[in-house]
Amino acid sequence: MSTQSIESNSEGNQTVQFKVLSDGQCEKILNAALEILERTGVNVHSEEAISLLKAANCDVDGIRVRVPSCLIQKAINTAPSRVVLCDRNGNRKLFLEGNNSYFGPGPTCPNFIDPKTGERRGAIKQDAVDTAIVSNALPNIDFVMSLCMISDHTPELADVHEFHAMLKNTTKPLVGWTFDVTGLQDIVDMCSAVAGSLEELQRNPFVAMYSEPTTPLSHSKDAIDKLLFLSEKNLPVVYTPGMILGGTAPVTIAGALAVGVADNLIGLLLSQLKREGAPFIGAAPGGPLDMKTMQHSYGAPEWMLQHAASTDVYHYLNIPIWSAAGATDSKVVDQQSALESALQIAISAFGGAHLIHDVGFTDLGMTGSLAQLVMCDEIIGMVRRFINGVDIDEAHLAVDVIDQQGPGGQFMCAEHTFKHFKNELWSPTLLDRQSYGDWKNQGEKTMGARVTEKVQKILDEHKPEPLAEDVAKKLDEIVERAQQRVR
Amino acid sequence: MADFNKLADAIFKGDVAEVVATTKVLLNDGATPLEIVNDGLLAGMNIVGPKFKAGEMFVPEVMMSARALGEGMRIVKPMLSASDAVSVGTVVIGTVAGDLHDIGKNLVVMILKSGGFNVIDLGIDVPPEKFVEAVKEHNPQVVGMSALLTTTMAAMKQTLDAMTEAGVREQVKVIIGGAPVTQKYADEIGANGYASDAILAKELCAELIG
Ligand code: B12
Repeated sequence: MSTQSIESNSEGNQTVQFKVLSDGQCEKILNAALEILERTGVNVHSEEAISLLKAANCDVDGIRVRVPSCLIQKAINTAPSRVVLCDRNGNRKLFLEGNNSYFGPGPTCPNFIDPKTGERRGAIKQDAVDTAIVSNALPNIDFVMSLCMISDHTPELADVHEFHAMLKNTTKPLVGWTFDVTGLQDIVDMCSAVAGSLEELQRNPFVAMYSEPTTPLSHSKDAIDKLLFLSEKNLPVVYTPGMILGGTAPVTIAGALAVGVADNLIGLLLSQLKREGAPFIGAAPGGPLDMKTMQHSYGAPEWMLQHAASTDVYHYLNIPIWSAAGATDSKVVDQQSALESALQIAISAFGGAHLIHDVGFTDLGMTGSLAQLVMCDEIIGMVRRFINGVDIDEAHLAVDVIDQQGPGGQFMCAEHTFKHFKNELWSPTLLDRQSYGDWKNQGEKTMGARVTEKVQKILDEHKPEPLAEDVAKKLDEIVERAQQRVR
Repeated sequence: MADFNKLADAIFKGDVAEVVATTKVLLNDGATPLEIVNDGLLAGMNIVGPKFKAGEMFVPEVMMSARALGEGMRIVKPMLSASDAVSVGTVVIGTVAGDLHDIGKNLVVMILKSGGFNVIDLGIDVPPEKFVEAVKEHNPQVVGMSALLTTTMAAMKQTLDAMTEAGVREQVKVIIGGAPVTQKYADEIGANGYASDAILAKELCAELIG
């Protein structure tokens, strides 16, 4: 057993038993979603999707599609209950099943905190490189997203350039975003080049791609094209609405869940109609519109509750679960960012969501920060120790040792301590536990200062395993091909 | 007349039924439609703006006030003579080509309407030609563009270019907004103004129309 676990609610150690919805409540939400799909229906802006839905006996009126509940129920059954993501070398790493939780950065922040100057500026390709390097080095970051939307290259190819940067600078599994299918094709080509072939990539996928409907109840052509493309190729797709409570969704969490699940299940249905058994990762996440500032808040307790409830619903549906944590509304890495992130990370891991992204978001999702990413790595470590729970067996109950030491005994020198402390006690790398004198002598550094130093140290020292030269060259050629296309 | 205060208060409270009833009573008592608009309906909205700015009111409350104002206007508008200019000005607004985000733009629309502006909302993913056509058709004083993606911000410049090309750029003031948009960007592309939220957008429009 290691000190840190990826799994909450584990059978042997029934310490963390965290749910915000009962199965009965999950069923009510599912039924509300099914009712929305049968009664109101959704707008689908894709001819291919419309013909798939028509052929499956949906009620189609122009672009408006109403879906009989039985079709959704069938899709829930044919979709795989687990998805495995590999590392760049094809080793099976992330098991999106049970209560396993994995963390990684988010995508598409237009701004970035410059790691050298601390200044907020437009995101550049080097930021995607740095995010990959830092994520690669951090023990509790399990997959990588770019944490930015770069603006120093051809704007229409930001997605392709970011993926190029990530593939070269980390071996960890990747989650990507794209504008449309053309960019997606470039990305799949790059991944196939790394894997050796498309078949090899399909066998051991190290990438999941992200697509989102325009909630409420509207599915854009780009979003569906991406979904169908990936489903056809049997590659994992994350299809999730980004809801704003009181904006694009009802202000009530139950209402937002109902409409969000409905939108997500349309994606599930389409993926299964395109290819039965295609891997699909779902969720109905969202957060409130702050009613004073009109901003979409990530740090709000309702945001956490919405994500936790969504996780419960998708456990109930037995579909691999997307979620988010480690994202703050604060503009800097500070007390606010620490408290918001810590709660989000704890709650998402307690609930056992599978792919938990957005680690490193600051400024309401507008600015990526490596300092936030590094600080959250420490928080995740702490939380993982917690969800590992309390081992209760003879060795851990330690009755023999207690008898040996007897009244007034001490355990510092006991062999039992020596044997167990490493597994029982998590050791921080950033949190300060020094005596006051030592802390003062070492420069009275705040958490913020220590985090900044660690970012710099990783960027200076960490060298991720490089790609083989011929493979790297192939990736450059694919990017060049894309450049020629848009020129 | 004390009842104007009652009407203003009903607007402030977002009480639609009360606004409708009080408006009718005032009309019966001989108040002119213009008095009702200025001393009652808009007076109520003038309490709302500063209160919202001071953090004492929430967006949904502002929206209810705006809705109540709309209902009051519906009653008196047909009675206003052509010379009673109640519309503070006309604004054409839309989310630019390639962009589907509209929550922020919709908020701006509602706040503008509540301020007495005549607003023509072109919706989302609006190509430059459509902005040009709308300027020709509606003759607005202000054109507003919203973009939430760094990639679609370029469409703001393209729309400005299309307006110049069509020879309508000079007859309107163009304002832009959306999370990634900045004053600096507005200056760069030669827009007339930028606002970071809906209330400021309304003030900006009022200022530009002057
Ligand atoms: C909700 C949302 C969505 C929803 C939109 C639903 C809808 N009907 O609008 C959905 C899920 C559909 C969506 C889709 C996408 N989104 Co989005 N989305 C957001 C989110 C979370 C909130 C936006 C919002 O509504 N805010 C609340 C409103 C009230 O604020 P606002 O829009 O800024 O408006 C205020 C002011 O800006 C101003 N204002 C607005 N317009 C105007 C106009 C004028 C004239 C004036 C004066 C003022 C003004 O007043 C408003 C009120 O105060 C933002 C994150 C963020 N923090 O902004 C990302 C965000 C904008 N999205 C982003 C991305 C990348 C996308 C996608 C490309 C994702 C994808 N790969 O599929 C797609 C693009 C689809 C498309 N073609 O447009 C990125 C953009 C990154 C970038 N570099 O540009 C952001 C920043 C999130 C992130 N960090 O990744 N998104």
